Amino acid sequence: MPLNPFFLSGSKGEQGLIQDLINEQIKMYGVDVHYIPRKFLTKNTVLKEVIESQYDSAFPIEAYISNSNGFGGQGTLLSKFGITEVDDLTLVISREIFELYITPLQKNLEDIELATRPKEGDLIFFPLGDRIFEIKYVEHESPFYQLKKNYVYELRCEPFRYGNEVIDTSIDVIDKSVEDEGIITTLSFVGGGRTATAQVIMGLQYVTEVFVNEDGNGYDFPPSVTFSPPEIPGGFTARGFALTTSVGDASSVYDVILSSAGSGYENPPTITFAGGGGAGAAATASIAGVGVTGIIGFQMFDRGEGYLDDGDAVITVTPPNDVNLAPGAGVTAVGIASVQNGQVVSINILNSGIGYTGAGISTEISVTVSSPRYAGFGTYLFNEIVTGQTSGVEARVKSWDAPSRVLKVANVSSNVQNVSFYPGEVVVGSSSSAYYKLAEYDSEDLNDPFAENKDIETEADAILDFSESNPFGNY
Amino acid sequence: MLGTYYYHEILRRTTIAFATLFNDIHIRHRKKGTDKTTDIKVPLSYGPIQKFLARLEQQPELERPVQNVLPRLSFEMTNIQYDASRKTSITQTFKACEDGGQIKKVFLPIPYNIGFQLNMMSKIEEDTHQVVEQILPFFQPAFNLTVDLVDSIGEKRDVPVILDSVSFTDDYEGDFSSRRVLIYTFNFTVKTYLFGPIADSTDGLIKKVQVDLYSNTDVQIAKRETRYTVTPDPIDASPDDDYGYNESIENLFDQ
Repeated sequence: MPLNPFFLSGSKGEQGLIQDLINEQIKMYGVDVHYIPRKFLTKNTVLKEVIESQYDSAFPIEAYISNSNGFGGQGTLLSKFGITEVDDLTLVISREIFELYITPLQKNLEDIELATRPKEGDLIFFPLGDRIFEIKYVEHESPFYQLKKNYVYELRCEPFRYGNEVIDTSIDVIDKSVEDEGIITTLSFVGGGRTATAQVIMGLQYVTEVFVNEDGNGYDFPPSVTFSPPEIPGGFTARGFALTTSVGDASSVYDVILSSAGSGYENPPTITFAGGGGAGAAATASIAGVGVTGIIGFQMFDRGEGYLDDGDAVITVTPPNDVNLAPGAGVTAVGIASVQNGQVVSINILNSGIGYTGAGISTEISVTVSSPRYAGFGTYLFNEIVTGQTSGVEARVKSWDAPSRVLKVANVSSNVQNVSFYPGEVVVGSSSSAYYKLAEYDSEDLNDPFAENKDIETEADAILDFSESNPFGNY
Repeated sequence: MLGTYYYHEILRRTTIAFATLFNDIHIRHRKKGTDKTTDIKVPLSYGPIQKFLARLEQQPELERPVQNVLPRLSFEMTNIQYDASRKTSITQTFKACEDGGQIKKVFLPIPYNIGFQLNMMSKIEEDTHQVVEQILPFFQPAFNLTVDLVDSIGEKRDVPVILDSVSFTDDYEGDFSSRRVLIYTFNFTVKTYLFGPIADSTDGLIKKVQVDLYSNTDVQIAKRETRYTVTPDPIDASPDDDYGYNESIENLFDQ
């Protein structure tokens, strides 16, 4: 027998009314959660598994908590794999709200599968307790076809089993909820170092520049360089050193660097080369004119610490200070640092400059030494990618402790067999551009309260005789 | 008879030695769109733990954002059994020298088989395959470890670790109220030795070595020709002293 055609069991209007009432009830009695769709990055075909997932978008939606007396499930369990949270959560969300506000936002995202409904495997960020749940089942027929239609989705959820998946939704409270979770290794960076400081020494009638006229040959190592003394009594003899170069079998002098420009010269000094195993090098010098003062040297005030090499300490001298100087006539002095054992031991002169006034140790003209580069700079950002500049190894930032210079990272990846940062390399942040020099990489301490890898390794050192090697250490 | 206190920590040492085998297992996944692989060192821990300690260490803030972290390896001791096939004389002793040079008398150890179980829990089967393939080829079916069982006498023994069986559970069937649980179980037998008390030897330190040389290997008829004797100099030197040797060679042609 057919149904009575004079009675409608569900018109569009009635269905819309019920949907509106349900939406309103959920908005009044629900909680705001975030729906986080899973991105399927890598799938294993035959075994039918998603190997790599990522969660980088989150959509707010109101949800009604079905189990209002607390979480369902078995609660907190202790298993052989540590403590496990088996709290069940059942949420009810409006079918209409999901289809209107979440489906359009996620359907065009790359690597999203099935955007038309909430789906198993996606995550829910539950704000009460800041927990992340995984949807294990979506019930779409409860209540069962009221007025011939279903109005809600019932999401049955369980806490997320975390396997170092990237959660980068740009919503801090969600992303940082897993800041301390997962398998995390530790990068410790070198100490901060100390910036060197120096002062300029002013002098009169000094050597402004040295020109190598003959580079000679056969110089297996740099010859000593001697300047003739100044004519004016009380002046200082200029000092310098030679730089040599080799082209094929021929070694020659290619430059002379002044360590002191001297003072009291009325005529350009004579420059002689001695030693070095070669012969034939010759150079001349230009001097500042009568009564002209300028920078004749640099005196180290503090040698600093933590410099990598000569290029790591960049020297900057203030521009000429002579007020009577014609526009464009001044030349800024140029210095170059000499670094030994991490310290700037001296600053030599590439160019003494023109247009400086003063006498003795000047307080008007300053010289600045850059901070040691690998003292580091900047603040690593949570979830950004950092890269070891030598190893090419990448990792994702979990946390950065600036005072102790400790960076905790996860998802360490590389395209070589040995996936490990190298001590001594600089690690650069992709978004922050922060960089620091690595002192130590601890891949043993996994920063997981369950893991005892490091303790086992330490204790075993005193017990086991692996005089050959541990074969289980090779991937 | 029983009651002489001693504790060599042999069971603990055996456990640590066993665990070390699985302390550097890695899992790698290729990152999409790159030539890079992500490397995960699999966390390893002894399974049994005091409950209050587990709660304090693993859940100090009470609320945890996730259920747990996977993959994980866990191991535990499952049984201890006497191994009659390695039985030796119970009264036989050997001498060992302690760190300080003291001579000790040690009874031969008692052979025991310790059962261990290694478990691995993972989210995906691919991970378990990687771990299994890094473990199984080393056990044919045994892998020998050289373990310093009693460090006071420097007693290093080769301890075979035998892989008895591998099994796994993969609960993927059923309704959707529970998720898939993937656990691999490896059962091992570790053939270790338990040492009894170690006593001070009544014998003194050997301070004289004497060798008689014969002209023929037939000692029944051959006569001794030379007696070679070595003693420390000074004679009362202890093993840690800076001492020399006195050598004497005595001709015995006429005897």
